[in-house]
Amino acid sequence: MANDTSVSAKGGSTRFGRLRAYVADVPLLAWLLGGLVAVLLEQTVGDTLADLVGLPKVPVLFGCMIMLKEPTLIPSALIFVALVYGAPILLLGKLMARPGNWMADRMTSWPIAIPVVLHLVLLYAIMHFWADVSLYRMLTLRLTLIAIMLTLSLNLINGYMGEFSCSHPGFMALGAYAASAVMVLFFVNDRLFGEALLPEYLGPFIFPAALVLGGIVAALGALLIAIPSFKTRGDYLAIISLAFLFIVKSLFENLQFLGGARGIKGQPDYADLPTVFCWTVLCIWIINNFVRSTMGKALNAVRDDEMAAEAMTVNTRFTKMVAFLFAAFWAGIAGGLFAHTVRFINPGTFDLKRLAELLAMVYFGGLNSVYGSIVGAVSINLLGEMLRPLALYKWIVIPLLLILVMIYRPTGLVAFKEFDVRKLIQSKRKPEDEV
Amino acid sequence: MQLFFQHLINALQWGSFYALIALGYSMVYGILMLFNFAHGDIFMVGAYIGFGVATALAALAALSALALPNWVILVLTILIAMYLTSFVGMLVERIGYRPLREAPRASAAITGLMIGIILETGNLAILGAQRIRFPSLIKTQVYDIGGVVVTNKKIMIVVVSLVLMLALNEFIKRTRWGMAMRAMAFDYVVIPLMGVPLNTIASLTFALGSALAAAAGILFAVAYPVLDPYIGITYGWKAFVAAILGGRGSVKGACLAGFLLGFIEIFVGAYLSSSLRDLIAYSIILLILVFRPHGFFGEPHSAKLRL
Amino acid sequence: MRKGLLLVVAILVVGLALSPCAWAKSKTIKVGINAPITGDIPKVGEGSKYAAEMWLEDIKAAGGLQVGGEKYMVEIIVEDNESKPESAAKAATKLITEDEVLAIVGPQASSQAIPAGEMANNYGTPMISPWSTNPDTTKDRPFVFRGCFLDPFQGPVVANFIKDEFGFKKAAVLYDIASDYPKGLAEVFKEAWENINGPGSVVAFESFTTKDADFSSQLTNIISSGAQFLFTPQYYNEVALIVQQAQELGFKGPIVGSDSWGSAETVKLCGEACYGLFFSTHYAAAGATGATKEFIERYEKKYGYTPDDVGALTWDALRLVQKAIEDTGKLTGNLKNDRVAVKDALAKIKEFDGITGKMTFTPEGDPIKCAVVVRISEKGEFEFYKSACP
Repeated sequence: MANDTSVSAKGGSTRFGRLRAYVADVPLLAWLLGGLVAVLLEQTVGDTLADLVGLPKVPVLFGCMIMLKEPTLIPSALIFVALVYGAPILLLGKLMARPGNWMADRMTSWPIAIPVVLHLVLLYAIMHFWADVSLYRMLTLRLTLIAIMLTLSLNLINGYMGEFSCSHPGFMALGAYAASAVMVLFFVNDRLFGEALLPEYLGPFIFPAALVLGGIVAALGALLIAIPSFKTRGDYLAIISLAFLFIVKSLFENLQFLGGARGIKGQPDYADLPTVFCWTVLCIWIINNFVRSTMGKALNAVRDDEMAAEAMTVNTRFTKMVAFLFAAFWAGIAGGLFAHTVRFINPGTFDLKRLAELLAMVYFGGLNSVYGSIVGAVSINLLGEMLRPLALYKWIVIPLLLILVMIYRPTGLVAFKEFDVRKLIQSKRKPEDEV
Repeated sequence: MQLFFQHLINALQWGSFYALIALGYSMVYGILMLFNFAHGDIFMVGAYIGFGVATALAALAALSALALPNWVILVLTILIAMYLTSFVGMLVERIGYRPLREAPRASAAITGLMIGIILETGNLAILGAQRIRFPSLIKTQVYDIGGVVVTNKKIMIVVVSLVLMLALNEFIKRTRWGMAMRAMAFDYVVIPLMGVPLNTIASLTFALGSALAAAAGILFAVAYPVLDPYIGITYGWKAFVAAILGGRGSVKGACLAGFLLGFIEIFVGAYLSSSLRDLIAYSIILLILVFRPHGFFGEPHSAKLRL
Repeated sequence: MRKGLLLVVAILVVGLALSPCAWAKSKTIKVGINAPITGDIPKVGEGSKYAAEMWLEDIKAAGGLQVGGEKYMVEIIVEDNESKPESAAKAATKLITEDEVLAIVGPQASSQAIPAGEMANNYGTPMISPWSTNPDTTKDRPFVFRGCFLDPFQGPVVANFIKDEFGFKKAAVLYDIASDYPKGLAEVFKEAWENINGPGSVVAFESFTTKDADFSSQLTNIISSGAQFLFTPQYYNEVALIVQQAQELGFKGPIVGSDSWGSAETVKLCGEACYGLFFSTHYAAAGATGATKEFIERYEKKYGYTPDDVGALTWDALRLVQKAIEDTGKLTGNLKNDRVAVKDALAKIKEFDGITGKMTFTPEGDPIKCAVVVRISEKGEFEFYKSACP
């Protein structure tokens, strides 16, 4: 540690770099194990520890809220977070690096599905135990996962296809209303639709069908935009889709049998964490496969140069249409899940503010990238909750942050990065170690 | 028939706001190829600056021997607010758009959107939650022409908007700066190489657009004297529709599209159904775009243009 | 680096020792306020917050809340719901599970009160929405109450008043189709009016969309329909525009409103154009007596303007919560049981003497209370004109 002074003089980036180098050989498996231990730790000794360091209770979102609310509690919150999250994850990650790498190496010879499922189970376990501590976390987590689906599907249009679509809240609304109508009609005694038509135990089986129906309705709506707007290239999609958003909102305000301005309430509570998690994973998996397929590459070609793509025998119009409908489909499904999480929707939920929020998530995270969509959705959602104590000023801090990101990374935080599951879960051992 | 003319007059007034706001949008869009999503909020800031200036001037007039007639105060308010708001526009360009000139266009649009949110929230933080009543500077005179009601405010709004639109048109057509702007709209890669200062033109574009938005904001406040921090959002997005509908960089097109949007909204509300207004009005817009996919006066985009 | 680390540790330890609630946990009752501080209706959020601050002052002045012989400190936690349904649900859940409040007051608007009420009811926390008029807010939710009367009561009150006062036959209605309060009330009013005057007596039933500023096409139609008066259950910012534009377009009849007019801003924004108009509401600010007067004067002195109906209703809701907590007789410290006790006490409250009138809760959790018809005087004050009780 003799050269410490010179290193620290250069500033934090070097130190950060060293930390990165230090953990470079930790595979995802080890990180997940560390995370699991951390959340289990929090669940078992969290309360005691919080008591010890003087926190009123377990800090809900990594201590951010309590730090902003009670600046005197910053040290306690930092200690708590370091002890419960930082230390176990770092230590265990490092400790498990060797066995983890060994395991990852072993798993390469197995069919890819097995290690993927193993990782997903671990990830789900982490989320489950983390959210188990408080219902507020649970709600935030579910809405964040839904936001990931929305962001990813919007990224398909605005990032991968390179158009500017404003109709995503409209697709969400179509999906939300379709799914809600089906579920409320069949399973809820309700003011709008009367008695439940089917016994309740069928609900969980019909629910996926209702969601898919919502997705299909949204895709049909998208067809309405796609037919006129993909004849030519240009910014007309932006206003056609915006007009579509106004139309959809006005439509639902006028449809009395769907509640009009009063909306629909009381959707059955089927969108629990496992359901939302599964749908999100499915969404990421399918969209990722789509963008890595020939079709996805054709889409990128269309974005970069439509004429060249056309010359290379890409059917540009068809490609764009398929991608657009596909994005709308997933937005519809996410809308259905959203409706069943909040358990109330009205036309005002799907307005221009929602559009601004979705656009912010896409561009914050990064264009043309699955990672980016996840990062964008998670950070904007969590920031929105963590900065609650700032009240009004939250809406100055978040936009400022986004402007800074745009200035220093104009395409978003993690843009143009391929999401490769194999690469993600592979062993992180350096080649020279193997010798 | 008399009812029809009444609706026509109403639509003229409503359309002139859309046209004025759309103009500012259209300038930025036409010359720099950018979406200025902060425009609606600049409109709001313009209206608030106008409120401040008008109140200050009225107080001055009341205090000292500076006996200004009210219409002079109004004209001064418009001019001063346009001048001040143009700086807001330049600031927006400087912070949100200039650093992103090499970036995808949509990224710049997002910074614009975010600046808009900051303007709204900043307003809420500074002035508090109460809504503001814009001082009624001119007394409303109602003229009844054969059953059609016209007020002096309506006439003033339409006239002032038309004058501003013509002035802008002349500026772009006749002056050297205007020529530079047109050139920039033609090709923003080569023209800067020929000695046209890109930064100055960009600032000027934003300044002009914002000044127009401020004028629209004050005229709006005269006609609908209730101001709140969120008035700009809806009009901003709707004017965005009008600006692109008009065709890229076409002053005529943006004006026409703005008026058209106003007319459609008023007439659908009047004759078809006021509750289905948005639904029908924007379906009409959609239909127009199906048949004129480049807007009214726009040229087809080059295929290379991307977001 | 090692020195730096040591320093950080030292600071942390010192900070830890100094942190206020490190060693002592006092007995506090927490009450959550779920209000729209940002978003479309920030003024509503402000009114709720101010009323809550005043209430807290009272409690503090009394040295805490007396429950069963023990004094409890009271803490108010204001959470912003951004006027969004999902944010309201999150805010409610946060108040319930993180802040561990005993009861929640708010959200105000129905589109936020419905999802928030769902959370409150599921997690067994009493919630009073002071301002929400949608029946869905309290329907089948034992833990959710409201502080205002419902549309089915208010609509006929206005209709009867106009019939008795003016004897008109032809009505026009102008409302916001995208907002559930005006829309609900407009429909109820239409029904009530047609019950009195026969079908077709509402000659114009026009609507617009939230954030519209130009009502000229609707008003032109209303004028040409020959309506004798205009009923517009809109919020005060729109009222100012509607009244002004209607008069400019040559509408001569009276314009009548509902409780959403009940804000000092109505007169501020509308000016002389609104003088002499009538609306139905919860209380009349001018000429108020007793506790109502005291509340208004205190509020005016503290914040510089006459409180809106939202402020008054929030105040009443907080007083209801206070009364319910006191009525429980004893707090066990077990939050879950205490919440149930507060809920039961709330449901049992009879003839509560609030500043917006006496109220008793129905089994649904809706209050039975009187409405008053108010006239905006030539001084711009809300004068009591008539009252109507269910």
